[in-house]
Amino acid sequence: MEKTTAVIIGGGATGVGILRDLSMRGVAAILLEQRDLAYGASSRFHGLLHSGGRYAVKDPEAARECAVENAVLRKIGRHCVEPTTGYFVRLPEDDPAYESKWVAACQTAGIPVEKVSLDEAHRLEPHLTERAEAVYRVPDAAIDGFRLCRQNVLSAKQFGGRMLNYTEVIGIEQQNNQVVAVKIRNMISGETGMIECDIVVNAAGSWVGQVAELAGVKINVTPDRGTLIAFNHRFTDRIINRLRPPANADIFVPHGSVTLLGTTSSPAQRPDDFTPTTAEVLALIEDGKPLFEELPQYRLLRAYTGTRPLYCADPTAASREISRNFVILDHAGEGLKGFVSIVGGKLTTYRLMAEKITDVICAKLAVRAACRTAEEPMVADIDPALMQQAKQFFPASGVELAASRLGPDFAETVERIKNNPLKKELVCECELVTLAEVETVAHDTTTFTMSDIRRRTRMGMGTCQGTYCGLRGLGMMVDNNLAKGAMTENLLREFLESRWNGIRPILWGHQIREVELTRGIYGAGLNIDGAVPDETE
Amino acid sequence: MKQNDVIVIGGGLAGLFAAITAAKRGRRVLIVTKGVGAIAIGGGSIDMLGYDQAGAPVRNPREALAALGQDHPYSILGQQKVEQAMQEFIALCAAEGYPYMGNLQQNQWIPTALGRVKPTCLTPLTMNAASLKAATEVTVVEFEGLKDYCGKVIVEGLMQCPGYQKKYSVVSVRTDINDGRDLTALDVARWLDSESGQAACFTQIAHCVAPNSVILLPPVLGTQPDYSLLEKIEQATQCKAIETVGLPPAVTGYRLRRMLVNCLSKLNVKLIEQANVLRATLENGRCSGIVTGNLDRERTYRANSFILATGGFFGGGLQAGAGQATEVVFDLPVPAPADPGAWSNESLFFSGSQPFAKFGVQVDARLRPVDAIGQLLLENVFIAGKTLAGYDYCFEKSGNGVALATAYQAGCEA
Repeated sequence: MEKTTAVIIGGGATGVGILRDLSMRGVAAILLEQRDLAYGASSRFHGLLHSGGRYAVKDPEAARECAVENAVLRKIGRHCVEPTTGYFVRLPEDDPAYESKWVAACQTAGIPVEKVSLDEAHRLEPHLTERAEAVYRVPDAAIDGFRLCRQNVLSAKQFGGRMLNYTEVIGIEQQNNQVVAVKIRNMISGETGMIECDIVVNAAGSWVGQVAELAGVKINVTPDRGTLIAFNHRFTDRIINRLRPPANADIFVPHGSVTLLGTTSSPAQRPDDFTPTTAEVLALIEDGKPLFEELPQYRLLRAYTGTRPLYCADPTAASREISRNFVILDHAGEGLKGFVSIVGGKLTTYRLMAEKITDVICAKLAVRAACRTAEEPMVADIDPALMQQAKQFFPASGVELAASRLGPDFAETVERIKNNPLKKELVCECELVTLAEVETVAHDTTTFTMSDIRRRTRMGMGTCQGTYCGLRGLGMMVDNNLAKGAMTENLLREFLESRWNGIRPILWGHQIREVELTRGIYGAGLNIDGAVPDETE
Repeated sequence: MKQNDVIVIGGGLAGLFAAITAAKRGRRVLIVTKGVGAIAIGGGSIDMLGYDQAGAPVRNPREALAALGQDHPYSILGQQKVEQAMQEFIALCAAEGYPYMGNLQQNQWIPTALGRVKPTCLTPLTMNAASLKAATEVTVVEFEGLKDYCGKVIVEGLMQCPGYQKKYSVVSVRTDINDGRDLTALDVARWLDSESGQAACFTQIAHCVAPNSVILLPPVLGTQPDYSLLEKIEQATQCKAIETVGLPPAVTGYRLRRMLVNCLSKLNVKLIEQANVLRATLENGRCSGIVTGNLDRERTYRANSFILATGGFFGGGLQAGAGQATEVVFDLPVPAPADPGAWSNESLFFSGSQPFAKFGVQVDARLRPVDAIGQLLLENVFIAGKTLAGYDYCFEKSGNGVALATAYQAGCEA
């Protein structure tokens, strides 16, 4: 049987942050994720690294934490962060009294805020509404949740940390009120197994209640839906926030070549209630329109939905409130030793959350090592000589992109192209992903599906939404003996259908045309869907 | 200004075939088109009806027509008209020196780049897959750098299809195309247009195949609508060669288009390309002219009758907003549920035909547009191809078939 000190459940930002922190402090740890890294809210959000401005008035504590962590992540997660800066924009219909309150609150929270002239704002953001009455600059940034999670794991790996994805926890074994093991099931093979451990860390996000239930503990969380839309263009170069008390659809975040707009809020049916609706999309466009009046004309790419866990403290539970932002629950108080949960929080403060709960775990284990996650970068910068060498193989703007995406795997990718120049061909033209990169990622032992490759490389995230790279990606899998038999078809189906989930709610304009192209190719042309009879004559 | 009897709007398969049909009946025809339509996507095989409305494979498309609902374009035309259209197409291909094979009583199953087989009705000889079924040894030929075509995907896929478990091998052909770009099937086809390309390619293949086996290729056997390359490769390798349905650009579609365009030029039909139709002039329930314009001035074209063959959502003949659809040239009604949730199914490919795919303009028996209660909207406008309501060609595999049949009817009526 497998043995470790700590098992972390949940491969979102919090979980991977804990894995990294424990590993760096020398505690043996394995992270278990039921699907793939960032399957939950860590990728299904607006990709905003908060400056803290959004919380300055309502929650100064959270605002301060954001301000500090924002600076930390720019340093340790340079390859996940695009330092765009952000604007807070007040419109005529927004309360001017809030503006002065907000500026003061930002200053109190330590958020550098600077007034920008309207001329300058419009010069730099020409699509922004002319109706803007006040604009402030804050150090907001864009952050890639997929990459953040992956690079935390890559870093943890260097210190002995391990991650098993597609591994569901189906039982938490106890002896004498002490956690002793977790029972697991591989979601792909169906095989079950056990991992012996002293500590179980429940960092399952929206699933935190379900995981607690496995241990016979109750945590009151209700998942809340948030839907976002991705536009096909980068129509703003900075994050644009509405300067008013936080509400729906008041954040625009540029990400690579697209712009994200979010979010909505409504009760979710389940933690994985991930299907966006047209009503949500239309509401987002309507609510977002005051900041960008031409919004209804912009081409949509897709919509997506995540769930946030809303925590209601149970007064009888022994909880320790570290901040209003997140909660750490040590279930020893309820009679179960070795089981701790972490609930709530924001992606921006995930590292801090991980640090706090790792402190709690280390105290239990009598480990004295200090937290170093705020000082050490997650992945080393690429050697400039390698970058220089790589420039002859990649499309002009593709080198930096690939280097940031791949981190430590970049060298292997360059090597693949050096050995076979044909591997520089682009599998995904929309996102400039080379065959070599896709192969490198596909060979990773934690890559199982084409959607896994998508999350790690962005293959299939661009304008064509998987139409051209679908067959090519499949070809790569088969050529590398990573797919065989009936599995090959299922890989492609899963890839295309997962894209459809986000296109279906925006089935108009260019996207209905794009879908007809996809159907024309895979349905009418390649016959992905039709039955083949036993006797074809 | 030259007087036209008929103006065809749209230069896809439906537009071109409608123009030929009308021109052959003595009409003076003009085609105005923005692009080449879906012919470069779907390719040159003529899918007539591959699956019935429940998704069961159709063995005999001619018989299966009778079971279609009354709103289906085939039902509107009637079986006889559909057959006449197909016969006219078959005769045309033969006359142009690019004969198609197949008949309406039996679908053929042709291999695709996904390693599946699909039912189709008529094919160019390069896609004649009869020998595949009978073969024991099959060599899948791929081309280095042609990223849209993976031999092993085809092998893995075909091994899953009942009746296609055979001895497969994959051969990778090296081309000397070196212009720094990633290759498409069209690049390879152009390379094979040259004698040096043919020599280099056929030698490599002949080296690796057993005589009397079958070779599967991407659609690369030249860009011209003839079978000279098919003959040459079969002679060089002593094998049967079959072109596979692949990703766009569909070279087999280009060949078909080229054949039709050649035919049109013999019929003195003028083709105005990159023409953006801005609006139509309507008088007393008739269309008197259409106005085109790009960046320069507007031009008006007049005719006695008009054939609308601008395609569906892909071709640009139909456009959609949230919960509403429109036809772009004449603003004809396109019935669609106001609830966008009712437009589509939960699965893109595996929950039956898609409601939105059946959106389109409703027509009378002569293919003229009608409103919701069946009243004629325009007397002298005839509609062909995917602008029509009532069929999901991707699900039932009927795209080129409906295009030809309705184009024929429109061409006869106009």
